[in-house]
Amino acid sequence: MSLSKRAIDWSVRWFVALAGALGLAGYLWLFTRPSADEPIRSDGYNYYLYAPSWIIYHDVTLEALARDWNGGSYPGFSGILRWPGTNRWMNRLPIGVAVLMLPFVIAADLLTRWSNLPRDGFSLYYQHAAALAGLAYFLAGLALLRRTLSRYFTTGVTLWTLVAITWGTNLFHYAVYDGTFSHAFSFALVCAVIELTDLWWTRPRVWHAAALGVAAALIVLTRHTNALFLLLIPFWGLASWSRIGSRISELWERRGAVLTMAVVTAVLIAPQFAYYKWVTNQWIVNPYALHGLGFTFTAPHLFGTLFSTERGLFFWSPVLLLSVAGMFVARGWTHDLLIPSAAVLVLNAWVIASWMEWQYGASYGHRAFVDSLGLMAVFLAAFFAWTKEHPRIVPAVAIATTLAVALSVIQMLQYWHRVWPVRDITWDQYRSLFLRFHP
Amino acid sequence: MTMSRPRLAAGIACVLIVFALGYLRDPPWAGRITSGMRGWEEEPPGTRFRWTTGRASFFVPSDATAMTLPLRAVFPGPNGRPVMVSVSVDDRWLATIELPHPDEWVPAVLPLPRQPPSRRFRRVDLHVNRTAVGVFILGVMTGEIALTR
Repeated sequence: MSLSKRAIDWSVRWFVALAGALGLAGYLWLFTRPSADEPIRSDGYNYYLYAPSWIIYHDVTLEALARDWNGGSYPGFSGILRWPGTNRWMNRLPIGVAVLMLPFVIAADLLTRWSNLPRDGFSLYYQHAAALAGLAYFLAGLALLRRTLSRYFTTGVTLWTLVAITWGTNLFHYAVYDGTFSHAFSFALVCAVIELTDLWWTRPRVWHAAALGVAAALIVLTRHTNALFLLLIPFWGLASWSRIGSRISELWERRGAVLTMAVVTAVLIAPQFAYYKWVTNQWIVNPYALHGLGFTFTAPHLFGTLFSTERGLFFWSPVLLLSVAGMFVARGWTHDLLIPSAAVLVLNAWVIASWMEWQYGASYGHRAFVDSLGLMAVFLAAFFAWTKEHPRIVPAVAIATTLAVALSVIQMLQYWHRVWPVRDITWDQYRSLFLRFHP
Repeated sequence: MTMSRPRLAAGIACVLIVFALGYLRDPPWAGRITSGMRGWEEEPPGTRFRWTTGRASFFVPSDATAMTLPLRAVFPGPNGRPVMVSVSVDDRWLATIELPHPDEWVPAVLPLPRQPPSRRFRRVDLHVNRTAVGVFILGVMTGEIALTR
């Protein structure tokens, strides 16, 4: 075995550990700065809030924490308001992230008692447990993605894909800088659904259906609109629409497993709907209704979300253009995934672009797309695999990918240095701040 | 007999966890920990203070026999009544301080209960009976704490 092949194998094997070490190094630098914000902030506050309410205050109504911390209310930035009619607290963000954080928060709580720190849900250990939970789920997502890719691609293609998706996009940023937001968690869950769905269709075991049910429920609980990704499960590997009839037959043959999946999912998402019902007297509700926000499906901001300097997915993560190219050159396994994946990715982009606040507040790149990067990685790998079969273009693709990843890393570090405005970036601002580390 | 690599790793992990727990039982940096307090501000020049939220915590050395805790309400209490700040040390109630005039600093002198110190620092928790709600939640201003040993 050649030295370079051994180096590539070693890098793939240790990729998750290396990403974890770099993530921890970045985290330590970010949160030991004198001007560092606390890890639980902004949307992260809303996502996390349930965990201390359940664990410390033994309260599912969010009343006790509001009383103890805030004299009976919530800070304006959180947008947590009392629902008219019931006068109960409506947290605009769902419970999934808090559920996923629970093991970390429980460990932090035990350690807090041990060290005699304030058992208030927001002191030192809680802050870092919540943020490092995001980093841990990101690493779990990478491990699952590596497992899926390794079954169908060479180690070289797998390595290029993992590097490009981790640092050529804003994924690493959302695992390290904004680990309390939902995106690193959703990335891991989508990777889990991809891996489990592939296993369920290719070499099914009894536990796959139940595991898919758990992953599906957590996806919905973490970000409701990500329920779109569950379309992958029934349509996985559907190479042509003409096969839809036989696919229905296949699903009927597996009806026991499908029922298991559906029941597990329904049982696990029930607490979220119970919360909505208790707060609003309705089972299904727009939690942003009190803020006047909703979807404008007939007038999506597609250019803004995909190409603009403000938030454009491909403007800030140009390496993902290779993922789009991968859809056109996909062969074999990835070609069979094209129809369901393209449908899900297009619908996801449409939903994201239709949200009235299409920039999704302050963020680096477009954060709403982080959730889908596991699926986009499959087609990025397809493109690298196709490139490998065309040796003449390998140098050009290697140079373009390296530059795109380097640009993304530099721009992420600029964001960490607070060089970029957090939203509404114009072309003139982008040009004047390009590669600058001081605003 | 040789130990397998997983067992060796598990053994090393256990030893490290025991050492970490021993260290974290009484961390030497606990004195710098605060919770529920915003950053230091200065107004007027020379008067440093921090805003609390509805609750706040900080640590004092366990050999201190008393502390002077300057507090200022700024915003009046419910229905114009005085703002009340409850102070507890290591989860035991110590005193309730009344702040009758919103603009006045009250330097509360609090004797700290004598106990055989099992840790380097004692945790002091404040609970404020009203908050001012805006983008952030504001409780009371706390000034620089003076300790008597």
